[in-house]
Amino acid sequence: VSRRKILPTRAALTLTPSAVNKIRTLLHDKPEYIGMKVGVRTRGCNGLTYTLDYTTAKDKSDEEVIQDGVRVFIEKKAQLTLLGTEMDFLESKLTSEFVFNNPNIKGTCGCGESFNI
Amino acid sequence: GAPGKALVRPPQMSPMVSAFSAKYSSTSAQQQQAQVTYDDTVKLSESCVKRMGEIMDKGEYLRITVEGGGCSGFQYKFSVDNIRNDDDRVFEQDGVGVIVDQESLEFVKGSTVDFCQELIRSAFLVQKNPQADHGCSCGSSFSIKV
Repeated sequence: VSRRKILPTRAALTLTPSAVNKIRTLLHDKPEYIGMKVGVRTRGCNGLTYTLDYTTAKDKSDEEVIQDGVRVFIEKKAQLTLLGTEMDFLESKLTSEFVFNNPNIKGTCGCGESFNI
Repeated sequence: GAPGKALVRPPQMSPMVSAFSAKYSSTSAQQQQAQVTYDDTVKLSESCVKRMGEIMDKGEYLRITVEGGGCSGFQYKFSVDNIRNDDDRVFEQDGVGVIVDQESLEFVKGSTVDFCQELIRSAFLVQKNPQADHGCSCGSSFSIKV
């Protein structure tokens, strides 16, 4: 995977239907929040990890992704690392989690939570 | 590099070392304290019991196994199982049960199974493992105290 893979015609982040549904459920009956915010934080054994939070307002520097009626905001710091990433929601009996399929990453941790670019 | 790391640390060495130190520890107050908490059971947290009550059918258990792997040498695996083998230990609480086989128990005894719920992820975790030295940020992988 090349380091700079910029695809200007595509959304910075795509959501799978299950991710859209889950975000919609999360935001249901919480009218004070306008969407979710995705960020990255320095943590974990491989350098970076994703964060996910509710958000009440769009920051100036946030990249906004609207898909099927849900709004996801990408923090400035996360925009380059997340470009072209697909956000998925996986649910099994024991775990349920958002997964980021990121074409930019060079390596991940065994658990898949931590990664490097 | 994770599988390579696992090779460098032979899994059979650490429990022997910890068993040795437990047996031959001096009787200072601090070490006695450590031995008291160093029991051979696995505890279930409130959130773990609650979640298992929601998802488990009758006769189903949460099985915890420890395998070599992950970025810190060992990792926990969770699965749903309805078969109890002869060498399994069962830890029951409020109608739900966690099973751990004898070999994995050596690595998780004294810890607490928790169900951790966050926005980005909800999953079962092994926490407060007295044998684990430092874990990975995700909590699924750990290395052993020597």
